[in-house]
Amino acid sequence: MEQAINAYVDPQTLLVVDDDEINRSILNNLFANQYTVEEAENGKIGLEYIMAAPEKYSAVLLDVIMPEMDGLEVLVHLQNAGLLKTIPVFLITAETSDDVMREAYRMGVMDVILKPVVPYIVSRRVNSVVELFRARRRLSSQVLKQQSELLKQAEQIIHLNQGMIEALSTAIEFRSEESGDHVRRIHDITRHLLAHTEWGAGLDTYSIDQIALASITHDVGKIAIPDAILNKPGRLTPEEFEVMKTHTTQGAQLLGKIPHLRENGAYHYARDIALHHHERWDGRGYPDGLKGDEISPWAQIVSLADVYDALSCKRVYKDAFPREKVLEMIRDGACGVFNPKLLNAFFSVENELARLYQPK
Amino acid sequence: MDIIKKDRLISAGIDVDGVLERFMGNESLLERMLKKFVSDGNYARLLTAVEQKDPEEALRASHTLKGLCGNLSMTALLPLFTRQVELFRAGDPEGAYGLLPEITTAYLRVIEAINSLTA
Repeated sequence: MEQAINAYVDPQTLLVVDDDEINRSILNNLFANQYTVEEAENGKIGLEYIMAAPEKYSAVLLDVIMPEMDGLEVLVHLQNAGLLKTIPVFLITAETSDDVMREAYRMGVMDVILKPVVPYIVSRRVNSVVELFRARRRLSSQVLKQQSELLKQAEQIIHLNQGMIEALSTAIEFRSEESGDHVRRIHDITRHLLAHTEWGAGLDTYSIDQIALASITHDVGKIAIPDAILNKPGRLTPEEFEVMKTHTTQGAQLLGKIPHLRENGAYHYARDIALHHHERWDGRGYPDGLKGDEISPWAQIVSLADVYDALSCKRVYKDAFPREKVLEMIRDGACGVFNPKLLNAFFSVENELARLYQPK
Repeated sequence: MDIIKKDRLISAGIDVDGVLERFMGNESLLERMLKKFVSDGNYARLLTAVEQKDPEEALRASHTLKGLCGNLSMTALLPLFTRQVELFRAGDPEGAYGLLPEITTAYLRVIEAINSLTA
């Protein structure tokens, strides 16, 4: 679309189609200082010129009675090619018969001009219509341009949003002494599961992008967890674990306190995911102990993505596990029970997900 | 264009001011087109067609000449060809043929005046 806008130039050529050389010369002479004038000595040649490069013609002046192909036949061809809407065609004729005129107007000529031509009348009529067509084209190309500029701006705002959300989440990751790659991978895993398994069925690309974006803030509540607990290398005491668990509710609260975010389409996904990404299928997760389908599909997906990523990478409290071990632990419910259907979908695409962990 | 040449064209039945307006004052283009009129084959075609009593061919030639005369503001010739075309179309070829002597007189005066431009 953009290319079409940039390539747009006002057409500057006037085509005179007439078998009478004197008439062609008169019209050529009349318009030569305003247009590039081309001449065709019969309808067949004229039509070939137009069909070869319709975009370059501002107007066509067409005689009626000509050898090879007459003017009305040229009109039929132009009409069939849909060109009468973009190129104004003027019939230049000595025929004042009603039949010819009516037929010509019916087929969509702009005007009928009588021969012998009166210069100021021809040039006034032709120029007015050409100007009208130019204005119309300019207007529509301007509207297109503005539309594409608006789209571009909207895209920039979306990028900016995503960038700020990522920056915030990455800052939290860094605090818990993890690399910022975790949020990136959670985003990618969530997106992949939605885009390539039946878990995205019924969701359009826009919603999938929104959910993937919302997955980034799943751990945003960790900002409220003290360093001593967040970065503790060993096992947490039961009291410490209770504090740690509040990162879910704190995250949901925090997201709810950002008014701009609440207006964002991703907000209700983000809040749900932050609150429920530690729920488990058997009801033994936290904070609400939701069970089965009480947990939203996106929260289920992000839970699994979070576990998969945590197991696959070194954390402050553990080393990275080999891939086989990771899959075995997930299958055996070592980190809680997941929806069997979700596990099936996950294992069916895990080969592609594993690529995220290959050293670049 | 000098007065003498212009007068010759006017007296041969050409509306010089009118035709110059049509040519946007471009005198050399007008002279070129007047010479084209001289070398145009349609008058000869008309004569032959009338001789051979071929009204269709005669109409075609007469119609083309009518167009040329109109564009070149040949005010003496134009009404003659206009009338001739009308008669052909009205199915009166004999009446149309009958205009030929009058047409020939006016035609030759125009040709003579144009040829004298270069003399």
